[in-house]
Amino acid sequence: MKKEYYIKAIASQPAAFLVIQLLFCSIALGQENTVTGIVTDAESGGELPGVNITVQGTTIGATTDLDGVYSLEVPSLDDTLIFSYVGYETQEVAIGGRTTVNVSLGWAAIERDDLVVVGYGVMQRSDMTGSVGSISAEDIQDRSVGNVEQQLSGRIAGVDVAINSGRPGGTPNIRIRGSTSVSNTNDPLYVVDGVMLNVESLQRGTHAISSIDPGSIESIEVLKDASATAIYGARGANGVVLITTKKGNQEGGRITYDNNVSISQASKKIDVLNSEEFLMVEEIAYENSSKFDPEGNYVDPLTKRNDPRLFDESGNPLYDTDWQDVAFRNAVSHNHNLSFAGGDDNTSYGVYLGYRDEEGVMVESWLNRYSARFVLDSEINDWLTAGGSISYNNQTEKELEGWSMRMLYESLPIIPVKYPDGTWAGNEDYPGMEGGPNQRRVSEENIYNLDTQNSLANIYTNIFFSEKLDLRTMIAGNIINQRVNRYSGRTLPYLSRGAEGIASINNLRRNNYQFENLLNYRTQVEEHSLTALLGQSIQTANSFSAYSESQGFMDDYFLYNNLGVGSNPRPGGSSASEYTLASFFSRVNYNYNQKYLLTVTGRVDGSSKFGIENRYAFFPSAAAAWTVSEEEFLQESSSVSDLKLRFSWGQTGNSEISNYQGDAGLGSYTSIFGGSRAVGVGVSRLANPDLRWEVNTQVDFGLEVGFFENRIALEADIYRRVSDDMLLNRPVPRTSGYATVTQNIGSMENRGVELALTTFNINTPDYFWTTNFNVSLNKNEVLSLHGGSDIVQGATIIREGLPVNTFYGYDHLGTWNSDETDAAAIYNRLPGDIKYRDVDGDGAINQRDRVPLGNGMADAFGSLINTVSYKNVELMVDIQFSVGNNIMWAAKHSTEDRQGIANSLGSVLNAWTPDNQDTPIAQFRPVSAGYDTNTDSHREYDGSFIRGRNLSLSYNFSPRILNTINLSSLRVYAQAQNFFTSTSFPGYDPEVSTSGGQFTQGYAQYFEYPKPRVFMLGTSISL
Amino acid sequence: MKNTKKQTKHLIICWVILIFASGCEDFLTQTDPTSFTMNNYYTQPEHAESAVNAIYQDLRAVRGGGFNGAAWMMTEFQTGLANTELGQADNSIIIRNLQNNSDNGYGNSYWNSHYQGIANANVAIENIPNVEMNEDQKNRLLGEARFLRALYYYNLVRLFGEIPLVLEPINLNSDDFYPEQASIADIYDAIVADLIWSETSGLPSIDENGKVSLGATKSLLSSVYLTMAGFPLNGGSTYYELARDKAEEVMISDDYYLFDSYADLRSNETKNIGEHIFMVQFDRNISNHNGLQYVLIPYNQGVSLYSAETGGIFAQREFVESYEEGDKRTEEKQFYYRSFTTVADRSVTIDDLGGWYIYKWMDPEAHVTTAMSDLNWPELRYAEILLIYAEAANEVDGPTGAAYEAVNAVRTRAELPDLSGLSQEEFREAIWKERFHELSFENKTWYDMVRLRKALNTNTGEFEDYVGHTFVYGPTLQERELLFPIPANEIRNNENLTQNPGY
Repeated sequence: MKKEYYIKAIASQPAAFLVIQLLFCSIALGQENTVTGIVTDAESGGELPGVNITVQGTTIGATTDLDGVYSLEVPSLDDTLIFSYVGYETQEVAIGGRTTVNVSLGWAAIERDDLVVVGYGVMQRSDMTGSVGSISAEDIQDRSVGNVEQQLSGRIAGVDVAINSGRPGGTPNIRIRGSTSVSNTNDPLYVVDGVMLNVESLQRGTHAISSIDPGSIESIEVLKDASATAIYGARGANGVVLITTKKGNQEGGRITYDNNVSISQASKKIDVLNSEEFLMVEEIAYENSSKFDPEGNYVDPLTKRNDPRLFDESGNPLYDTDWQDVAFRNAVSHNHNLSFAGGDDNTSYGVYLGYRDEEGVMVESWLNRYSARFVLDSEINDWLTAGGSISYNNQTEKELEGWSMRMLYESLPIIPVKYPDGTWAGNEDYPGMEGGPNQRRVSEENIYNLDTQNSLANIYTNIFFSEKLDLRTMIAGNIINQRVNRYSGRTLPYLSRGAEGIASINNLRRNNYQFENLLNYRTQVEEHSLTALLGQSIQTANSFSAYSESQGFMDDYFLYNNLGVGSNPRPGGSSASEYTLASFFSRVNYNYNQKYLLTVTGRVDGSSKFGIENRYAFFPSAAAAWTVSEEEFLQESSSVSDLKLRFSWGQTGNSEISNYQGDAGLGSYTSIFGGSRAVGVGVSRLANPDLRWEVNTQVDFGLEVGFFENRIALEADIYRRVSDDMLLNRPVPRTSGYATVTQNIGSMENRGVELALTTFNINTPDYFWTTNFNVSLNKNEVLSLHGGSDIVQGATIIREGLPVNTFYGYDHLGTWNSDETDAAAIYNRLPGDIKYRDVDGDGAINQRDRVPLGNGMADAFGSLINTVSYKNVELMVDIQFSVGNNIMWAAKHSTEDRQGIANSLGSVLNAWTPDNQDTPIAQFRPVSAGYDTNTDSHREYDGSFIRGRNLSLSYNFSPRILNTINLSSLRVYAQAQNFFTSTSFPGYDPEVSTSGGQFTQGYAQYFEYPKPRVFMLGTSISL
Repeated sequence: MKNTKKQTKHLIICWVILIFASGCEDFLTQTDPTSFTMNNYYTQPEHAESAVNAIYQDLRAVRGGGFNGAAWMMTEFQTGLANTELGQADNSIIIRNLQNNSDNGYGNSYWNSHYQGIANANVAIENIPNVEMNEDQKNRLLGEARFLRALYYYNLVRLFGEIPLVLEPINLNSDDFYPEQASIADIYDAIVADLIWSETSGLPSIDENGKVSLGATKSLLSSVYLTMAGFPLNGGSTYYELARDKAEEVMISDDYYLFDSYADLRSNETKNIGEHIFMVQFDRNISNHNGLQYVLIPYNQGVSLYSAETGGIFAQREFVESYEEGDKRTEEKQFYYRSFTTVADRSVTIDDLGGWYIYKWMDPEAHVTTAMSDLNWPELRYAEILLIYAEAANEVDGPTGAAYEAVNAVRTRAELPDLSGLSQEEFREAIWKERFHELSFENKTWYDMVRLRKALNTNTGEFEDYVGHTFVYGPTLQERELLFPIPANEIRNNENLTQNPGY
């Protein structure tokens, strides 16, 4: 019985049937009686060409011609004919002795993906009461990208994926229905084939999901509302992403090979000063020094332009280097996926291999990844099924550190990369400069490798006690080994010249294990259908890290491979931590006649992270749905083909705080006596025995409606979720010796609307056009904080009544003009200086004059994806948009607010002069004459954008051709990713966050890695 | 088949029960393998020692420097005698212009680090008595802890005035979690009590490794008494006498002496000996003191191997000119410097860097060859003890021979003529001026100005009242500048606090 259950899942995929039918239809057997006829469209009456006709129970068949006419030899005139045609209802017609059988076919209802993976199970979509978004295998195939997060981007309403870096291993920022926590992670929980991935962030802000090969993924589901996520209890607050990987093949051996090659290039260059402009700015600044600092001691720049390496005899520069040209390249990448799958009715297996070699658009950055996975599922006997999978991913990224990106802006144009004699040049070669290493040199000589090994394994058994009851047991693990290897060269200025080479190794190991037992019960009594799940889970997660560093190398040869040869070994370090989670959960689904659906879930979680008083928490949810279209009054409706109303309420938790937060942990201190280190142990963490979980309460109302046999399908959700007992590191009086205490205070709200519209504009065998449009609106608001006091974190503020991720700074009013000399003098400023709004009117500009500015999160975002195909050719155009996401371009501190000590943005040419007073940019002056530089409204931009995310053209070879070359499928494709971006933000890309902090979306310091435009060619073969 | 099924069923039921029942509590109890907690520590002599070691760390917190300046500069810029060319160090600039406010990060840094040091001292002082260990060692450790607590409070009370006096470890339920401000007299009483306790705790007379010694305790006590004699407590002659006596005890111990050369003040060879009574310790491999070097060099003139050449602090020209003619301290590369060689070519010297940069704490080797500085910071040095003695003795008995001897030792090193034949009044001002010149940029001058309520007019060479004194570059000291503002964050987090007047 249970076997059927699984087989149905595969057989119900229309594609599989179609392939089988196509193969069979061209072969005719026997020639006894001829039946002819014409097949028409029931709606329009037009003839249908290409309709398949088979004789039931045989492989005999035919196809209608261009006029919809067919002719078929049948064994007997008592047989039954089956008429099938993509997009139409299949009809069985008894011949009944006739020789002419005319048929008109009606539109088939477009089925949405039948089976949906949910937490701890699989459900028919029609039985669902919660809000779950799905990404199918075909969607994944249409977008060839390097990681899972990029696959998620723009597919599902409510899932905001900000690809913040063009770095090969860049980690996107993902929010499902907004941010819920100030202190804890806002990342969703990823579950791969039931295995929960490590949640805590890894080194360099990477995440366990980023090193998993997207090529072996079958489908992705995103659980959004509480009805769907509550089964994950304390780990479900940020939404759950369920990933199902590809399995074996019960129909026999199949080999597939996908590969693609791409060329990436930086999609934008930033306008910085050229040599002539740079030198001019320096001269004007010098001239203005007497105005801004009459007593200061300044050197006329003309007198320092005498280095023959850089200037000719009249002081003109020899070079005009474009450092972005130096740093950027056409990067070539390729990706390969090879798989072997096979099996029979009882056992199936698969081997999936992947290799990715990606070059970054910036010279000296790259990533490679090897991945392998083995999966086996076997029906041992009629009451036991067992199986499992094991996968291993090994990813190495050569990263560029901050200087490489900063010096894109700040390297002097008058400096070459190298002098003719082969020695490196640098900003320091021109006197009076701030310095900073040569961009190319630091990229080459500061080696920074992030090496990640990510293993996932699970073993399960399913014991069937009866048709109604089974027990599934699973043991699973996610083991991550990560290492950051670094070596900075002996002679590299600003980083390691003083130390004569710095080598370090930072090792991190994280083990996550889980053991689960799920008891499933299902029954159907007349029109009542019931399924119930009772589960138990224990999890442990531990981590261990070790660090060592050595300095003083006599040669760069060793890199980080032999720390022992460093003459100056530095103190090493290590740390360990562990937490455990024990949980019990249950879910009951009931439906009456497919019309009235009810789901109730509950989960009890116990965690070692919390004090003994609050160790356990209960997370309930309930949801109901009404399939209105099943009611009689809608059965006959010709327009409404599907209508379902859903409502859910539930609670989830967020327990992702660091371990041991409830205890009065002591910290280590360093004292020095006689030139030796003396270890101190002292206060570090203020104990809070009452620490407990953050609780998220979410209400969701959903509407699913389909018109005209679902040719137009709309899914809309409106939700409100409130996080209470939010964990905050709230500041305490420092007289206690402590800075903060972790307490459950504060609440935050997200409200939003999600719309997903799918239309099948044309749906015929030859012509096909479908449109997916989704848009999400989310409004975040901090409802309460401890005592109402603000939390200012760098350039952002968390304040009651405002959304988190709000920028905080001065209101930049432009510059003081010549008529305002007296007003400027109050602030100790001159005409030509920046003018800020004195908010409190106290005659001084200080921190109290800061005001909330814009917000880095989008007000609305979404996608418009059109797929058009004609016969075997398919074109997909994927457009992404975002509205209202602001950007704080902090890089302007060093590239616009001050000049003459490093290169500046081209925008400084608009600086204040007596003739150009209406400008936001202060008059040039030497830096030590004093200047204003602050996080302010002038650095803020509206980052709204429209992006051509992907343009994909593919060709699927027809079965006829494939038969002749013994292939079962062959697809070739070309893609252009990020093919345009339209935005008013002048930096590299409006999706940006450079600090990796929790609420720093849109905060752009120097360190943005430009985003590439990717042109790709690929092939998929299977045999 | 049926049997197998039944057995399996039983097995599974047992299994599940086992899991459900078998001590979930044990499973869910985890202890931190990386750190101790307050409850399981303080059981071994080594724990006691580590608890005291921890207190020292925060002495470093206000030192150093960088592109945003450093906390220790706060008292220097409020003297009106310091200059900067580090345009982005806003905290320095608003203090220098007497536009300071309670958001200033320097004040935060003092407040936060010092109270953390105090909290560590409180934990040590409470827990060490319960540790089973050698009593002598125990007392010495407690003596160190009390000295350090006194030192932190001494800084805080002079900077911020009435502040919370927390002398016990704090937890979330403590009464003093939101403490009120104590009176200045109570704070000084606690400081003196700690130091007197420390004096009899069996500390060694000197400690070449840089730990607290008996000499340090007596020196600090004499400095505390000298301050208590002046504003705001106005303890008068009783305290001058106490200050004089403590200074004398240090002088007659013969443990300390003036270095012959000013170069020894900035040498790695003379740490914690000779003139250096108590220092904040640095070491290149453990915690270097590069930050101090960043701020002592001119802004981006290419003279240092360090990438950060910030021009963070240097002497106001008029202050250097206020030294007596022929004062060795103002000669090139004694206390100040005006020229240095360039990184590009060390045979090329920039003759006029454009300011009187501070050479007193300069580590030339770091700038020229290593880009790594080990220099300690002097908290208490013998020259100050001599000047305390001279000042206090004069207040008690007028300019005695011993008082002349003490101040002239300092002047002789500066190659200045001996003082002689002065009235008590003249001697008093001569000592003040000597303190300004000898202890410049050493975090002493502003405290002197406030305790005396006097400021040096560099144009006339005369002392005038603090309130109303106009700096050579314009701003005038007001009443409010007798204290720094309590950090705004602290006021926000503790409703029981009242901000100092004028901020």
